[in-house]
Amino acid sequence: MNAETVRYEERGEVAHVTLLRDRIDMQLVRELTAVCNHLEDDSATKVVVFRGAGGVFCRGIDYADFKPDQPVDIHGFGKWEKMCVRIERLRKVTVSVLEGAVVGGGVQLALVTDARVMAPDATLQLDEVHHGFLPGMATYRLAKYVGLGHAKRLVMRCPVVTADEALRLGLVDRVTADVDAATDAVIAEFGPTHVVAVTLARRLLNESYEFSYEDAIGHFLAAQHRSISQTAFLETLRKKGGE
Amino acid sequence: MTMERARLLSVGTSNPPDYYTQQDIIDRYRVANPAVRSMFRASHIKGRYLVLPPRDDEGRPTESQAQLLEKHRRWSLTLGAAAIEKALAGTGLTTADIDYLCCVTSTGFMLPGLTAMFIRHLGFRVDCSRADIVGMGCNAGLNGLNPVVSWAQSNPGKNALMVCCEINSALYVYDDSIDTGVVNSLFGDGCAAVLVRADETDEPAFAPRVLGFESHLIPDAWDAMIYRWQEAHGKFSFGLARDVPYVLGLHADIPVTDLLHRHGLHVRDISHWLVHSGGKKVIDAIKYTVGITAHDVRHTTGVLADYGNLGSGSFLFSLQRLLDERVVRRGDYGVMMTMGPGSTVETALLRW
Repeated sequence: MNAETVRYEERGEVAHVTLLRDRIDMQLVRELTAVCNHLEDDSATKVVVFRGAGGVFCRGIDYADFKPDQPVDIHGFGKWEKMCVRIERLRKVTVSVLEGAVVGGGVQLALVTDARVMAPDATLQLDEVHHGFLPGMATYRLAKYVGLGHAKRLVMRCPVVTADEALRLGLVDRVTADVDAATDAVIAEFGPTHVVAVTLARRLLNESYEFSYEDAIGHFLAAQHRSISQTAFLETLRKKGGE
Repeated sequence: MTMERARLLSVGTSNPPDYYTQQDIIDRYRVANPAVRSMFRASHIKGRYLVLPPRDDEGRPTESQAQLLEKHRRWSLTLGAAAIEKALAGTGLTTADIDYLCCVTSTGFMLPGLTAMFIRHLGFRVDCSRADIVGMGCNAGLNGLNPVVSWAQSNPGKNALMVCCEINSALYVYDDSIDTGVVNSLFGDGCAAVLVRADETDEPAFAPRVLGFESHLIPDAWDAMIYRWQEAHGKFSFGLARDVPYVLGLHADIPVTDLLHRHGLHVRDISHWLVHSGGKKVIDAIKYTVGITAHDVRHTTGVLADYGNLGSGSFLFSLQRLLDERVVRRGDYGVMMTMGPGSTVETALLRW
């Protein structure tokens, strides 16, 4: 992986993606997209950990990427959202480690991962509306985590959310000073990563607000048929049958 | 000289005039079996175009095998002619300009076949080359398109036309059982035609090139979809095994992966999916195996809702809807996928 804004390392079954830039610009979007390509095409890892460098996860959009005298361009926002959905649908389990400031797009990055570990002194903030624009598709994802009332408060009033409150709201899974140990613990909780089962489960959960029961039951049966056709489930049957 | 790839230049579709909601059919044939009634009422099909026969005093359809075959012959000609006319409209071509004609059908056997009948009645030249793809089922549109594309590429500048004619109401067997209920609540009547040509000159027409095909047969599921003689009814009848949609779905990513990798592509590179509208379960299974979304298969579910399963031409109805949306951009890739008896999954790669 040849990138300036992202460091990529693999240690055993875990890929570590470190954001070297604390602001989101188009180069970061491009290089994170390249990381997704690598993870999908060439990496045997089962878990991906996203974190920031220098004690900061991400401060949100880089305003220097925009020039007030240039025509409005929505294209870059599209690229960013496309990259977010790529992470959300990776055929691997994803964890984000939230330290320091987690602002704007940084919050969304955290929301598209499967688990979030947060340092006690870290803070979350969706500050976009106070600056006259929108917090990306956080408007689509946030309410699923915290409910519509809290989502309106967080998006429309842009408060700084402490780690304790984030934990209470269900925005993060663990708050601890030792984020490395907590990340290892979260990875251990995922257990043996049966990629098909865990990613199908995630897809059904992400879609749980989108479809009627009639559609969703069809999706579940198709996904379940695929899961129980995999070797992981057959091995379970062999083991359980021997008990 | 590099070989010019064949392109799908235009599509035309047609259906019989009478449209029936699922409730219309339940009422018309006084369907009593609650399991069959609930099959009809499943929400994924709103209605279907069908050629339905007169009824006896109990409300049952009265058609002999001979009448069913005659219905297939007559409506294949009528609907085939309409689909061909629409496919050629705006191209400046008539049937006399077609050099290769391929007809695809699985809903009635006839000899001479549909190609000979079309040449006799629809103004094709008597020296038009032809092939009839008969009895291959819902997947057969791509089994037909493969040789049509090869022919077009071997004969640059010549016009090839493929016509899928499926009069599924000519497979109608009625006995209030689950087996016939599955079939009678699913399939609809319709024809689709597609014009294929490999031009020697690079003309500006905006039409997809066919880059390749990939097939995958599942030998263990050879009898999961089967059409056979039923002595008790004095008719042929089609049967679908209960789990075949999921079995097909489970194998669907194999040919897709092979096809895409051969061209250095991944699922994420595909902008458009044209999947056969086989039924709700098989569409779901493909979504969750290949990893594509409800939006990716919107035309597949839309065609299923509005027409039912139209057999071999179904994916061309989806192609028509995609073209009508005007969202395709030059350079976009598309995958066509059809599933059917064998059991089999057929795929083709397109690029605009």
